[in-house]
Amino acid sequence: MIQTHVLKKEIKDNVCEDEVYSNLFRANSKTVFNYIYYKFGNEEKAYDAVQEAFARLWENCSKVTPTKARAYVYTIANNLYLNVLKAEKVRLKYADRVNTTNHETPEYVMEENEFRKKLDAALNGLPENQRTTFLLNRIDGKKYAEIAEMEGVSIKAIEKRMHLALKSLREQIEGI
Amino acid sequence: MQENYLAKWLNNELTEEELAAFKESDEYASYQRIIEASDTLKGPDFDMENALKAVKNKRTLHESKVVQLKPFRRFLQVVAAVIIIMIGSYFYLNTLNESFSTQYAQNEEVTLPDSSKIILNADSEISFNPKKWDKNRNVTLKGEAFFEVAKGKRFTVATDHGTVAVLGTQFNVENRNGFFEVTCFEGLVGVTYNGKETKLPAGTSFMVVDGDIIASETPKSSTPSWLNKESTFKSIPLKYVLAEFQRQHDIQVETQNIDLGKLFTGTFSNTNTDLALQSISVPSQLKFKLDGKKVLFYAESTP
Repeated sequence: MIQTHVLKKEIKDNVCEDEVYSNLFRANSKTVFNYIYYKFGNEEKAYDAVQEAFARLWENCSKVTPTKARAYVYTIANNLYLNVLKAEKVRLKYADRVNTTNHETPEYVMEENEFRKKLDAALNGLPENQRTTFLLNRIDGKKYAEIAEMEGVSIKAIEKRMHLALKSLREQIEGI
Repeated sequence: MQENYLAKWLNNELTEEELAAFKESDEYASYQRIIEASDTLKGPDFDMENALKAVKNKRTLHESKVVQLKPFRRFLQVVAAVIIIMIGSYFYLNTLNESFSTQYAQNEEVTLPDSSKIILNADSEISFNPKKWDKNRNVTLKGEAFFEVAKGKRFTVATDHGTVAVLGTQFNVENRNGFFEVTCFEGLVGVTYNGKETKLPAGTSFMVVDGDIIASETPKSSTPSWLNKESTFKSIPLKYVLAEFQRQHDIQVETQNIDLGKLFTGTFSNTNTDLALQSISVPSQLKFKLDGKKVLFYAESTP
């Protein structure tokens, strides 16, 4: 009984199992995609990075445990364009705020659009590591600890980036 | 306010006092607005299921590639193994000696690469390396053989007892357990025994019986008697005579109450067993009983 239980667990823990692999893909591919996009602003390259990172994960599925898989794909994706790709402009979309739209005056909408433009410009003006950290936290809801893991730095360093990012966004937008 | 307080604020890690103080500040409203706007941001669309399909397709493509590679690699492994075996066997065969041997009651003639001839007497063996024959005319002998050596470089016969070196001649070497005899019929033969070389001109022989060098007489014939299907002895201990009889006739010899050291002079036929038995027993005053492949020699006085 114990033996079969252990065996089952092993299969579950094997990245070479299609189910385990697919689950890992669904859990992490979007973040890998966004992560590379925030860094370089290139959708196509971000998509390629996902493909490459997960193809490599499959090749090494017997060597990488599921717990290490997330860090593994981030590392592959991160190293892929290291010192190769030049950062482009990051273009982000804004979700429609359905419930408030009706109450907004045209002036408010105009002002809001103006603000968004400024924010876009400010985001693109940030250093790459600050922008990536800020967007991973705000858009993907990643905790500082996870971003630290992806970037291979301490949590404190991520907090610093977060702090500086927000500070310079305000300075940029308000023209200080 | 603590270090990186903006990050702490977003993570709800500020103390109540700090938060209150921060809310009081002028910047708070604009930070709040930036965060509100940022939280409605979206990244580009990402079709996860399609991406997963694409990765899996790539995976199978990659796997089939691996399958194609394998036979080629295996083919290379086989080629490498064959080459190693070929090289190995080439060197092995190069060092391999060719050998010829005879059983009891059997003679054989061997022609060497330089057309020298060796005739093997019964129960004898020679070996030599045909690949190195041009450089090194060296034959290893066990038993007895007659050599007709073609003129050329030094020709050596190695035996357990000693070596025989010649240039071009005819000679007989008998190398049996405890018995070593070299007879030169033509030319000059050098025999090295116990590190000492003895020159044998034509018509002389060199004999060692049980470790003693024995002066022997000149052969009368131009070839050893065994080439004429006879075995000739001159003052040879009986045990070597009987051993030779056993070899020539393939008959197991047993003895009873016989002095094997007694010297024997005479000749016996190598083909006619009855005649040979008579030839040995009569002059030695022995009796014998022949029983198929066995013969028992015993002294006349014994019943």
